[in-house]
Amino acid sequence: MTDASSARHTQAPIRPDWWSKSVAGVVLGFSLAIAMSGLFAWIGPGGPAAVNKLQFIMWLVVPIWLGVASVCFLFRSGRQAWLWLGCANILAHTALLAARSPLLH
Amino acid sequence: MAIRTDVVRLYRQVHTWTGILTGLILFVCFYAGALTMFKEPLERWITPPVAVTPATLDRAEELVAATRALRPEVRDFTLAVGPALAGEVPLRLTWTEERFDPAPWAATLAPDGSVAVEQLNPSGIGLLVDFLHRTVGIPGDLDIGTTVTGIASALYVVALVSGVIILLPSLVKDFLVLRVTRNVKRLWLDAHNVLGLISLPFHIVIALSAVVFGLHDHIYDTLDRVVYGGQMRAVAASSSPFRTVSKDMSPAGMLPPKEFLTRVHSLAPGFQPVSLEYHDAGTGAATVRVWGHDPRYLVRREGFVLMGAVDGRIIDTEYMPGHQNGWSATVSAFFALHFGSFGGGIVRWSYFLLGLAGAALFYTGNLLWIESRRRTERQAKGRSAVGPVEQSRATRLLAAGTVGVCLGCVAGLSLTIAAGKWLSGLVDDLHAWHWGIYYAVFLGACAWAFLRGASRAGVELLWASAVATAAIPATSLLGLVMPGLWLSDGLIGVDLVALAGALAFAAMARSAERRAQTGPRDSVWAAAVGHPKSEMGMQPLAHPAE
Repeated sequence: MTDASSARHTQAPIRPDWWSKSVAGVVLGFSLAIAMSGLFAWIGPGGPAAVNKLQFIMWLVVPIWLGVASVCFLFRSGRQAWLWLGCANILAHTALLAARSPLLH
Repeated sequence: MAIRTDVVRLYRQVHTWTGILTGLILFVCFYAGALTMFKEPLERWITPPVAVTPATLDRAEELVAATRALRPEVRDFTLAVGPALAGEVPLRLTWTEERFDPAPWAATLAPDGSVAVEQLNPSGIGLLVDFLHRTVGIPGDLDIGTTVTGIASALYVVALVSGVIILLPSLVKDFLVLRVTRNVKRLWLDAHNVLGLISLPFHIVIALSAVVFGLHDHIYDTLDRVVYGGQMRAVAASSSPFRTVSKDMSPAGMLPPKEFLTRVHSLAPGFQPVSLEYHDAGTGAATVRVWGHDPRYLVRREGFVLMGAVDGRIIDTEYMPGHQNGWSATVSAFFALHFGSFGGGIVRWSYFLLGLAGAALFYTGNLLWIESRRRTERQAKGRSAVGPVEQSRATRLLAAGTVGVCLGCVAGLSLTIAAGKWLSGLVDDLHAWHWGIYYAVFLGACAWAFLRGASRAGVELLWASAVATAAIPATSLLGLVMPGLWLSDGLIGVDLVALAGALAFAAMARSAERRAQTGPRDSVWAAAVGHPKSEMGMQPLAHPAE
């Protein structure tokens, strides 16, 4: 099974890195989901105080978080997962801070 | 669809581990969850019949006033409208002392206009299946149990995604193919895949919403700090239906209950009111929430409109089907999709069957792992090996745990339901008895499974489940002839479903028995080693061509 297909591989195989990737997916995935939902809360329609939007924002966290946690095993290595998700987090949280900053309102 | 084989292999491992870690928890959640779809009929099946004449609401105003006079400190209470009009319960006000109170208080009106207050003692089977569904039966604080199911549900989302990824390459080839051959693992795999794929949308909805229900407190806390700058309480308060209600606690008269129903009807003719929930009754701040159904919309279990009890003005419709804003309507839809509280009976039955199918999905998932471990161990011993392969400790333990937990849950629920009818009226705290019986059977089944081993306990506990489930229709049959028991009017469905369940468990017991005798000898499901037939006439197990 492996002999035939491995010849076709030009890319390096994915390293499992179970612990590293799992922790990255769960922790960085969660903080990314919080930042992205928060961003939608502040710059999405209605602003953060729209009636019952808060509940929608909370529901939004879960699919983003677990979506990231599910696909993060596709990263070539645990290092890559931390690197990419870390950068995405920095971007998203910076944007959230900017959206919350009174200078922009 | 082409997916790199190393990706598939990786996700097969993700799927296996998330599945092994959560399968047993989710089995209990799904089996009890399926029963929650019919918890009201179950509750009525257990409750002795009392002659209740369908009520008119004419005397409801008198009842409210008399109860207010007798118990002025009770300001929050509920008047059941739908069930009273249907003759299921008498016209009465009920209130509880805590949020989940198995024994609420009730005030009813005697013909002479006096009020009788008594503590109700419902069987509590509805609360039991609901708590089991949310907490897997973990005793103690509700929060601990729901956090555990929340985490299990999060892993279950990952298991779903990885399950889809590993199925994608062979989707067209394998979809809806059930290969009934000597290769048992293939059969289980096909059954597992078909069940999973057919009910995939249901599982995605249930998994994501269950994570929200289990972990929302923690998510809200994080959102408060990171997103709302500590101001989340204020944001939530400004969304509360009560945000515009005055704090006026001075005495004030209220409109008669019928008046609220009339106003709700003119607001939304399709809305079917179920109950009136009073808050701060008798004060200037008094409000009434009219709860009810509208099967045309996706709402939480029930929707409500908030009205002023003094003047009958409509205060808030954010939870009223068809009158919500976009955010509320979307969130309500998520709730409805989890609870199956839309579309009436068809959806309710579908959710019941999908719930049972979900439980079967986790059961077959565990069986698959056990089967594939058996093959791995055979390969480790060498392909030429004939005769029994000693099963590893992990395989034996998981097999016993699967049998004990799953069948313990099934038998425990069936027996406690049947016992409810026998004990009703005989014991003081039926709710506590229900829990006692469930835990005794569940823990007993687990202990039995580990003591006897999976193969023997599997067969025995399946028979036990069949008998416990058959006890439900048997109790009803006995009700025809035995004093103290009764046949529940209009609830033949409960007995028929239980009968079908009992027959299904009996059939499974028969096939498990057959497998223990004639199946592969190196399986954990084989009868104890040393059986006279063990070495004779057995072909070496055919290896799956992979």
